[in-house]
Amino acid sequence: MTIKKISLLAGLSLLAFSSGALADTVRVTIAEYSKGTGPYFEEAAKAFEAANPDTKIQIEVVPWDSLQQKLTTDISAGANADLSIIGTRWLLDYVKEGIIAPLDENITPDFKARFIDTFLTPSVMDAKVYGLPIAASARAMYYNKDIFAKAGVDTPPATWADFKTTAEKIKALGTETYGFGLQGKEIETDVYFYYGLWANGGEIVKDGKSGLDSKAAIDTATLYKSFIDGGLTQPGVTSYSREDVQNLFKQGKVATVITAPFLSGQIKTEAPNLNYGVAPIPAGPDGGKGTYGVTDSIVLFENSKNKEAAWKFLDFLFTTEQRTKFDKIEGFLPVNAEEAKDPYFADNADLKVFTSLLPDARFAPVIPGWEDIAQTTSNAIQKIYLGQGEIEPTLKEAAAKINETLK
Amino acid sequence: MQRASVPYFLILPSFLLAAAIILWPLKEIVSLSLHDVNRFGMLKDFIGLEHFRSLFANADFLAATWRTLFWTAAVVIGTLIVSVPIALILNEDFYGRGIARILIMLPWAISLTMTAIVWRWALNGESGMLNSALRDLGIINSNIQWLAEASTAFPMQILIGILVSVPFTVTIFLGGLSSVPEDLYEAAATEGAGRWDQFRLITLPLLKPFINIAFVLNTIYVFNSFPIIWATTQGGPANSTDILVTYLYKTAFRMGRLGEAAAVSLIMFAILIVFTIIYVRLAMREEKQ
Repeated sequence: MTIKKISLLAGLSLLAFSSGALADTVRVTIAEYSKGTGPYFEEAAKAFEAANPDTKIQIEVVPWDSLQQKLTTDISAGANADLSIIGTRWLLDYVKEGIIAPLDENITPDFKARFIDTFLTPSVMDAKVYGLPIAASARAMYYNKDIFAKAGVDTPPATWADFKTTAEKIKALGTETYGFGLQGKEIETDVYFYYGLWANGGEIVKDGKSGLDSKAAIDTATLYKSFIDGGLTQPGVTSYSREDVQNLFKQGKVATVITAPFLSGQIKTEAPNLNYGVAPIPAGPDGGKGTYGVTDSIVLFENSKNKEAAWKFLDFLFTTEQRTKFDKIEGFLPVNAEEAKDPYFADNADLKVFTSLLPDARFAPVIPGWEDIAQTTSNAIQKIYLGQGEIEPTLKEAAAKINETLK
Repeated sequence: MQRASVPYFLILPSFLLAAAIILWPLKEIVSLSLHDVNRFGMLKDFIGLEHFRSLFANADFLAATWRTLFWTAAVVIGTLIVSVPIALILNEDFYGRGIARILIMLPWAISLTMTAIVWRWALNGESGMLNSALRDLGIINSNIQWLAEASTAFPMQILIGILVSVPFTVTIFLGGLSSVPEDLYEAAATEGAGRWDQFRLITLPLLKPFINIAFVLNTIYVFNSFPIIWATTQGGPANSTDILVTYLYKTAFRMGRLGEAAAVSLIMFAILIVFTIIYVRLAMREEKQ
């Protein structure tokens, strides 16, 4: 007990001392999206400090993969920053525990009007805005025009049935090139499955129940499995993460990959001769469509002692000028309406496809235990891809487990 | 009286240090494991052994436990079997021994995570070095997707585990071999003992304490080893290559179930303690003989 008290006192005095010395420091935890992320925020912090000499901005850059771990440990130790980037899909857990502060009292109608509505809504909970969309992205299908031409196909597939015919033609070339680059490993393995699920008219969660045992899910699993068994995907899909499939696409070993806008930027520097196009994700038999929309939010912690200064910095980050700079560096979609008019975004053929898909974009549902559900889904479809589980019972079992989590 | 208290007084500083570093976190983890805990480590209701009960009803956790024991045994025993001959060879005097020693030690100088990531690339099905080497040698005709299934991924992970444990183990053995006096072998040779007998009757018994220490240290180290499996498969596909540490990491930081994760780490701690006690018992019995 005494040890505890002493260390607590020591910690407190240290805290008191540090907060006294650095009265107006705003600490910001930033997820590293690319090499450009850190330098961009350092520069933005400097520009902000020049305009607001009383405030100091301290940027902490963390790799995406360890962001959640860092936040969890920081928050449980009470050592979190004032502002942080988080995955919007984690927001519910944070809001439920009262860890982050709503921003409404600072948001003027003018400020709200800066945003494209689609991207702001995922951060709204109980009619309160809990975060601002710092990064926005959607998914579309990249296809290799040269491989398609060789196989005698000149348009990207409109439906999954078309897609299968195309993939079969590509297989017939006999060049160890595969039509469907299918991700089966690590983060977002489940998302790759949802593309087909949405096309078949299914939902991840409907009326508080998992949609994984629906007919649409079974149809999708059967469809994907037929791609795998027919040799229309790269072999061993469960050993390919998203980056791995993207690499196969850059190497011209798979003819398609469904991923985010940033792949365009990577291709430009790593495989400049790749002749590719971007198309919507194929539709289902009844015209069902859907792409995955993702936003990351920047949030203000409830225990921040510098809420006012922190808000000022947020306001600064979401000016059209700053947003344009950042989204160009990262290859994200514009979140400001003004920014979207910038010729860089308005005249970019790849990005135009992505923005045209936004009306059909689905965001991760706001439900507790989302990561748990994603893991259960990934495990079930990996078993199906590997042929270690019958499609229907495996999906039903996973759905039952998810319903347990949803309760 | 005065005198008897001196030793306690002298060990007090190190005891306090140990208490702060080991006992304090242990107490925290025990309390986490007995409570309903949210993602951010805030304690809610006291629920007793509920976390442990749900763990032992969880097929993934049980499978990970058995896999951990298998993984530890395979890597540790494999390492010992490989390391003894390597140490014997490196102990011989031959031209280029210095370079050979450096080559064996080299993997030690590279961080484990980096080694594991390099292997992830090497094992890549379409562009990995291992497949292209095997194809060039004419051993296989089509690419093997090493990391796609546990049946190929897990043995490869064990091999990587052995590879990275060898340098440390060989170092211990070389230290042991340098303390074996040369004249023992000469005497044995004059008595007519062949190389095998010399190894069996002289080298192995004298090396035994070193084998023991290598066994214990490797067991603790491999049991808790995270980077190899995490970097290559993250315990997938479908939890089929999970060991307890990777399962623990996922439970804690991906799912945010800190209470359950605390229970897992206590179970791991208990298993290691049992190992250590068995070892200490065995070692002491031997000393008495």
